[in-house]
Amino acid sequence: MTNRFLSHENLSKLVADLAAAKTRVIAPVRTNDDAAQIDYLPIQKLEEASFGVRLPRRSAKEFFLPATDVLLKYRYEKDGFEIESVPTTAKPQVILGPSPCDVAATEIVDKVMNWDYRDELWFGRREATTIVSMLCSMMDATCFCTAVGLGPDAVRGSDAMLVPVEGGYVVRVVTAKGESLLKNYVTDQVSDALNTQAEKAGAEARKKVEANMPAIPAAFAESLGRNFDHPLWKTMALRCHGCGACASVCPTCHCFDIVDEHNDAEHGVRRRNWDSCQTARFTVHTSGHNPRGSQTERFRQRVEHKFSIYPSRFGEILCTGCGRCSRICPGGMNLAEVVGEFRSLATAAPEGGAQ
Amino acid sequence: MNLYQPHLMRICEITDETVDTRTMKLEFKDPAVAESFQFAAGQFGEYSVFGEGESTFCIASPATRKGYIECSFKASGKVTQALRRLAVGDTVGFRGPYGNHFPLDLMKGKNIVFIAGGIGLAPVRSVIWTVLDQRDQFNDVIIVYGARSVGDLVYKRELEEWSNRSDVKLVTTVDPGGETPEWKGMVARVPTAVEQSVTNTENTFAVICGPPIMIKFTLPVLTKLGFPEERIYTTLENRMKCGLGKCGRCNIGRTYVCKDGPVFTAAQIRQMPQEF
Repeated sequence: MTNRFLSHENLSKLVADLAAAKTRVIAPVRTNDDAAQIDYLPIQKLEEASFGVRLPRRSAKEFFLPATDVLLKYRYEKDGFEIESVPTTAKPQVILGPSPCDVAATEIVDKVMNWDYRDELWFGRREATTIVSMLCSMMDATCFCTAVGLGPDAVRGSDAMLVPVEGGYVVRVVTAKGESLLKNYVTDQVSDALNTQAEKAGAEARKKVEANMPAIPAAFAESLGRNFDHPLWKTMALRCHGCGACASVCPTCHCFDIVDEHNDAEHGVRRRNWDSCQTARFTVHTSGHNPRGSQTERFRQRVEHKFSIYPSRFGEILCTGCGRCSRICPGGMNLAEVVGEFRSLATAAPEGGAQ
Repeated sequence: MNLYQPHLMRICEITDETVDTRTMKLEFKDPAVAESFQFAAGQFGEYSVFGEGESTFCIASPATRKGYIECSFKASGKVTQALRRLAVGDTVGFRGPYGNHFPLDLMKGKNIVFIAGGIGLAPVRSVIWTVLDQRDQFNDVIIVYGARSVGDLVYKRELEEWSNRSDVKLVTTVDPGGETPEWKGMVARVPTAVEQSVTNTENTFAVICGPPIMIKFTLPVLTKLGFPEERIYTTLENRMKCGLGKCGRCNIGRTYVCKDGPVFTAAQIRQMPQEF
């Protein structure tokens, strides 16, 4: 990892050059002037972006796993149905200024997308995308990225990271992809003063998030698995509406449904759509039997998947501590609190006792 | 072509097993796929009707017979009802084979007791024919098959064929009240039929599939007869979409039915959280 300097003017030029070359640039954009509402959207020039205001409403996962994605097209011919494949390669795109939690999520989800079978649609977009993240300064009391091994200055998944300093950005170039995107816009000379400024900004940002939650130890996955039948799940799940909003805004929730959609009797598409384990239909059998028949089981599944199942299968937590699920929940549920409750159980009693 | 794009298959034969259960024989449209396609008994696939969607079932035909696959299904959901409306010559999609399989290598030279209830015979039938196609490599074969009534028995022609073979012991049974005046088999529930028909458990594997209630009451019988849990194999079902470990719905705790299963031993099932 090398440090470079990028001036505001050159960042502006980079965006303009990419737009001229018809490369899609996605950045946080203010979408409501009254409320500080931010969404990741394509931009044509740098002025359209709003960095450092607050976390975009949805994560950046939709640029790799769109909310709805065509898997194939079919049409009826005289010898029966024929399939038209969809391309597995994608057009180049640049995501500029996403928060480190959203960026790390892509690398975490890579593991399941490559679990024995490689999901070419996901990896086609991953390979075509260059991610230039930005040091996060938007943390609030709901964030806990440092508790899951990340941080507002974590470069995981980034090709380069921008750290705002006087006159521009100190750029941490992480990959060859990042280097090739930025090489004509950055200077190699970074003053000690600017490097120190960048270091300090990172350390201060970390400290703010660290105050929210202590690091989750690796042993937590095992203890959470052992508390599968704990009565706490039921009490906590009472507030869950089963709406699935948490999964929609989550950068790591990747579960999907596959459905056919016909345009007319002879033409249609097969789609993959975002789905959520919080809805009753997610696991229901045709017979009517539902292995996760109550909200308790469905709520438990989401938490277990993130903090126990995924760690046991892929060696890491399926959560980047972005806090979106807690901010959006209509029932006022808070994932950090849930984790906190089960952590205190882990140190107190190993098996589920009476409430 | 991505992971989710199925092979095109032509329906070449349709057999009605019962009032609502049907078997379809499918041939690959692409001769290269027909030539290279291989699977092992116990594996499953995603079958699709274009315009309606995909549905998960096992491959019910034996792994020893090439160039085609069979599936047996009950018309009950959106896709299976649409599948039932199709005729010979129509096109369906198939992705697979997915999942693990029954460990026939371990069973070679040993006795096998097959136990099935209702349409649960479909995955077991794949193993039975795979074994019978290599009959000299296995020892005694016992099949205990039951259904609620005579009308609910599937693969009736094959039951006839197995009953006529000297190298297979077939026991068929129907639940009390499900018999007809002509019925020559047993009138008992499956666990009782197993208890009365299986004597030797030494060097013997059990392969069992059927409704959860049948499995629940048969497992204690197998234990009582002397089967260790490691030699009892069954196949689980859960709702699936991808079949590839990605869509996130078929897991029972840490176990993914699509990737770790669908074939499990009774010992493995006992260790799973009770969420299925």
